[in-house]
Amino acid sequence: MLKKKKFLIGGIIVFLTIGYLGFIGFQSSATYYYEVSELLQQGSSVYGKNVRVNGQVAPGSLEQEAAGRILRFTIIDREESLPVVYQGHVPGTLKVGGDVVVEGYLNPLGIFQAHTLMPKCPSRYVPSQ
Amino acid sequence: MADIGYIALFLALVASIYSAIAFILGARGKHPGLTHSARNSLLATSGLVSISVAVLVYALVTHDFQIEYVASYTSRDLSLAYLLSALWAGNDGSLLFWAWLLSLFATVVVLQKRDIGKELVPYAASIIMVIQAFFLILLLLVSNPFQKLPFTPAEGLGLNPLLENPWMVFHPPTTLAGYVGFTIPFAFAMAALLTRRLGDEWLITIRRWTLLAWLLLGVGNITGAWWAYVVLGWGGYWAWDPVENASFIPWLVATAFLHSIKMQRRRGMFKVWNMVLIILTFVLTIFGTFLTRSGIIASVHAFAETPLLGNLFLTFIGVTLFGSLGLLYYRREELTDEAETESLVSRETTFLLNNLLIVGAAFAIFWGTIFPVISEAVRGVKISVGPPFYNQVSGPIFLAIILLIGVCIVIGWRRASVKNLVGNFVWPLLVALMLGITLLILGIREWYVLIAFFVCNFVLLTIVYEWFRGTRVRHQMRAENYLKAFLGLIWANKPRYGGYMVHIAIIFIGIGVIGSVYDVETEATLIPGESMTIKEYTLTYENLDSYETQSKLVAAATLSVYNKGKLIGELIPQRNFHWRQEQWLSEVAVRTTLLEDLYVILIGWDKDGTTAFKVHVNPLVVWIWIGGGVFVLGGVIAFWPDRRELPTARKPRARAK
Repeated sequence: MLKKKKFLIGGIIVFLTIGYLGFIGFQSSATYYYEVSELLQQGSSVYGKNVRVNGQVAPGSLEQEAAGRILRFTIIDREESLPVVYQGHVPGTLKVGGDVVVEGYLNPLGIFQAHTLMPKCPSRYVPSQ
Repeated sequence: MADIGYIALFLALVASIYSAIAFILGARGKHPGLTHSARNSLLATSGLVSISVAVLVYALVTHDFQIEYVASYTSRDLSLAYLLSALWAGNDGSLLFWAWLLSLFATVVVLQKRDIGKELVPYAASIIMVIQAFFLILLLLVSNPFQKLPFTPAEGLGLNPLLENPWMVFHPPTTLAGYVGFTIPFAFAMAALLTRRLGDEWLITIRRWTLLAWLLLGVGNITGAWWAYVVLGWGGYWAWDPVENASFIPWLVATAFLHSIKMQRRRGMFKVWNMVLIILTFVLTIFGTFLTRSGIIASVHAFAETPLLGNLFLTFIGVTLFGSLGLLYYRREELTDEAETESLVSRETTFLLNNLLIVGAAFAIFWGTIFPVISEAVRGVKISVGPPFYNQVSGPIFLAIILLIGVCIVIGWRRASVKNLVGNFVWPLLVALMLGITLLILGIREWYVLIAFFVCNFVLLTIVYEWFRGTRVRHQMRAENYLKAFLGLIWANKPRYGGYMVHIAIIFIGIGVIGSVYDVETEATLIPGESMTIKEYTLTYENLDSYETQSKLVAAATLSVYNKGKLIGELIPQRNFHWRQEQWLSEVAVRTTLLEDLYVILIGWDKDGTTAFKVHVNPLVVWIWIGGGVFVLGGVIAFWPDRRELPTARKPRARAK
């Protein structure tokens, strides 16, 4: 019985450790995930906070500056639109009309400063119509 | 033509349902005739699904664009290899490919000659046919790859240029084959529960199936990471994307299963636990497929949002999970362990701990993956967790697992004596310590990196030392030279030494991953003749060359690379515009050494000639791919048919009461 107890205690320690690691990791990387209009409904409370926003790249909005290092575009959902600025390598799968998840923060001017672009490549499982 | 494919699928559904019922009735009522017809029906299913695959392949190769699938994923300019790879490039085709693999595996199961586990086969085959029927229903109702367009387009949309990569011909089928492969051990586990033949026979029957599926899924993950690294152009190989996680989680649980069935074979322990693990592995593979196809979780991989497909998958997952766990609960009395762990310091403990850690890691990753769904259901807001969560949770766990690999080798079964422990530990420990001090002198100051490298080195040395001792014994006993003794040692006990090699592979991969701590990156805008510096490299931008091919506009920048002032070569990153898909795609240029990768991406250019680059220096990445190679080698050795399998398999039976 004593042995079983030892193993039980060991197991509990292992799981508590994993739980603790998870908690710490969660605190450092949990990010709200919004649609464009959901983000704008939050108002000034989200300024400067790291969030992810899902939207569609608005037709005709894609502009590049500085040899392609700076990218400006607008993402939209059914109701609202949001201007986005991004600096860095633009994934080839980013397309006008395609869905994209941007991670970054909204500044008080209403411009979203993205540090990560995650385009959903629509042609992997669905044909682009 | 397309109708033949669809009709074949429909007939296959009828045959598989008949086969599933007839197997059970035949085996229960002891009607050999009925079992025999069930078996024929299974073979017919396999033949019919093969016919429909042949029809689709024929349509792909002959550019039959009236079939929507063919028009959506291929075009006339694709080479034969990519035309064939279009079979699994899309949702519908990959489900057909899945169904086909399952039918082929089922055929092997019923045709395999076996001394052990014969009584299990009808039940297992019945379960496989039920799963087969599920996939056929999906194909017939929701994902029909033979769907016709109302007109015939002159040209297809072509394959996504991201997928036009040799690794993409390889990655999806291995991953899918791995997924599908786990159906077989699951089916035998259920057969064992149904027939109450809960001894070792089902474990003996499935060992190599499990190993095969696990190996294929592992290779699928590694080739996927490699593809991401060389094609996606963001400088990394693993993004903790939900879809990557979806294939990593079942692989982890299957890893735990492979280890803990060894405990059951040797000591008659962990019986219920093993059942739970194989059930979870199977359900997680289906869950992974569900995740990829349902669009429920946002991911960089995009998915068709077809609610019906998602609902069918969820129902199937629910039925499988509760059905199999219920059956397990019903049979719990017959699954009591024959032995108890005798000492805290024993190989059993390391296996137990290894299992807890692997499953713990799998659970944490699973939790992170589905968290957006949970938080939305509970609090009405979607919260997603990023790579730091996964890295912080799994980093320490994986390091602990690697440490356990080393401990496990030097520790004996049942009870280890302190004396033999010290004898086995001391050399690896000393050398690893010396290597650690060397790293410290070389300027590595991060304590966690030092610990991680120390652990990896220590475990690697333990394995090498173990091999060395085995070889030396053989060398002395048989007067063989060292090389022959070494190879003989491996060949004499393939599962064991194959396993050691896989462990070495894991350590190599670990070393490659730890290297990412020192990744550096920089961006620069250059005009021809200008240079940029990163670490000890200087890159001089020479020129931008551009030309057109049939499928794309190619822009290629040439950079001369200097290391500490010495010219070491040229790198030519490209950025290409693919006409048909109207899509820009970067082709990175990578210079690989054993120490680090120099990774250059062409970002873009202005009319005045200024060109933007992003450059990464990623230390030790190549060890991940080397680890992948060793993983395959070790896996194949462990999988290799072993004549000794039968005698060792009987040993535990003799021990049983």
